[in-house]
Amino acid sequence: MGTLAVDLLGKALKNPVMNASGTLGYGIEIEPLWNIETLGAYVTKGLSEKPHHGNKTPRVWEERHGMINSIGLQNVGVDDFFSHYFPFFVERKVPVIVNFFGFSEDEYISCARKVPSHHLVVALEMNLSCPNIKKGGISFGKDAPAVHNIVRAVREVTPVPIIAKLTPEVKNIVEIARAAYEGGADGLTLINTMPAAVIDTRSRNMPLKGGLSGPILKPIALRAVYDCYKEVPIPIIGAGGIMDAEDALEFLMAGARAVEVGTATFADPFAMPKIISGLGEWLDENNCAGIAAITGIAHG
Amino acid sequence: MDDIPGTIRENSAVIPGYYRLTVRLERPLGEAVPGQFVMLKVPDREIFLRRPFSIYDARGTTVTVMYRVVGKGTEALSRAGKRAPVMVLGPLGRGFSVPPTGVCLVVAGGIGYAGVRMLLKRLGKRAVLFLGISGRTELPLLSDLKGIEVLTATLDGSHGYHGNVVSLLKEHLASYRSQGPTVFACGPRGMIVSLKGLLDADKVPCQVSVEERMACGLGLCFGCVAETKDEINPLKRVCKEGPVFDLWELSL
Repeated sequence: MGTLAVDLLGKALKNPVMNASGTLGYGIEIEPLWNIETLGAYVTKGLSEKPHHGNKTPRVWEERHGMINSIGLQNVGVDDFFSHYFPFFVERKVPVIVNFFGFSEDEYISCARKVPSHHLVVALEMNLSCPNIKKGGISFGKDAPAVHNIVRAVREVTPVPIIAKLTPEVKNIVEIARAAYEGGADGLTLINTMPAAVIDTRSRNMPLKGGLSGPILKPIALRAVYDCYKEVPIPIIGAGGIMDAEDALEFLMAGARAVEVGTATFADPFAMPKIISGLGEWLDENNCAGIAAITGIAHG
Repeated sequence: MDDIPGTIRENSAVIPGYYRLTVRLERPLGEAVPGQFVMLKVPDREIFLRRPFSIYDARGTTVTVMYRVVGKGTEALSRAGKRAPVMVLGPLGRGFSVPPTGVCLVVAGGIGYAGVRMLLKRLGKRAVLFLGISGRTELPLLSDLKGIEVLTATLDGSHGYHGNVVSLLKEHLASYRSQGPTVFACGPRGMIVSLKGLLDADKVPCQVSVEERMACGLGLCFGCVAETKDEINPLKRVCKEGPVFDLWELSL
């Protein structure tokens, strides 16, 4: 039987499947259904230096083949995560990727400083889709020099590897990915949600604006992974509308070292365990010794 | 808690726009507390997120919910026929907590009845149902409720008390004072707000089942929240810390 194990930034993951940030709570909520050590790694809910209460409801809306969310980055804060939730992952020996965000360079830096170097902390995953309140609310991730600067600023304050999670709402994602790499990023997550809105014809208003996720996003995410793979020499985590093992394989073949699954879990809470077993079956059916070997094979 | 495959055994309109759905499950739903809910996979290719429904009844391998058609999900569900395959995730959330003694005044507004029906069956003679509906045409919603004292308020005056259900409760509340009442409520936000006004002077114990749009139902996404008076962490997940909340802890 082939192995699902992959190496990510010097850490051995038992498989390449992890949750997308914010789609698996604090990790403990799924335990009545399956164990967290099923995953290659757990990606934290987006953490910030201080707790955030998030947005008013409605926060979620289903669209045809997608969903729009506007949670507003509600979280308990990075300190509370490490004192209350991290011990659970230590006990289970589950690698953790710490997703974090800020609304200014200072906030990114103070949050990153609070993340300890620990053998189970694989990396910091920087959410670059946040608005920079000091620059009129333009998101950090939309402009190559801004991405370069913010990644470099965080790079200087932490020894923990950095993964830049990029927004697809840019003219040229390869240019942004390269700026992250040159700023010191060790890896990329491609992609975050896409800005979207809902109109309710019954109430004749716009109940929410937010990030579009789900299957509707998959081809866009796949294109970003494919385009960045050859151009930027750091590992890529593919994310965007992965619903089953076939989707995950597409991302791996396009160039992803690992994948994140988000919205699929809401449709089927067993989506990730099913994807993991589906990848194992695929290895056997294709006499493939290891999943790591298929990263980027679509490039020939 | 489990995610259980099942098939639709019955899905019929009780009155126009209000449906009762019974699912035959492959294995029994875990022990459910009144006020808990299930996330149901709607058998329609266009609807991929599940929909939350209060457990109306659960026994052995069958589970029943009652719903009103309010959007695309419930509209697609209302078209599902017998034997259509569904998935039922549950029981979920925190249900009602029934005190050992005292009379239980159960206040339901419209389809909010679906959220307290299991509680009423559990309480039996200890309960009095205060039901608010728009008119007598909605009375068949109660057709399978036996042995419970019911006081009805209709907005059009076609049956029982003419007015809203909170005004009806106001007329009777004093007569229950000596019996140590606890109020249980499920209904539209306006009803809950006005109920709070009525009970405020004496801070009568009251538990409210809150409705909110959900994605996961498991506490994973933080998509459904209710504002509480908790100073550190005011926005609580309706699916996890709720759907039943202490009225006096909610910020309305």
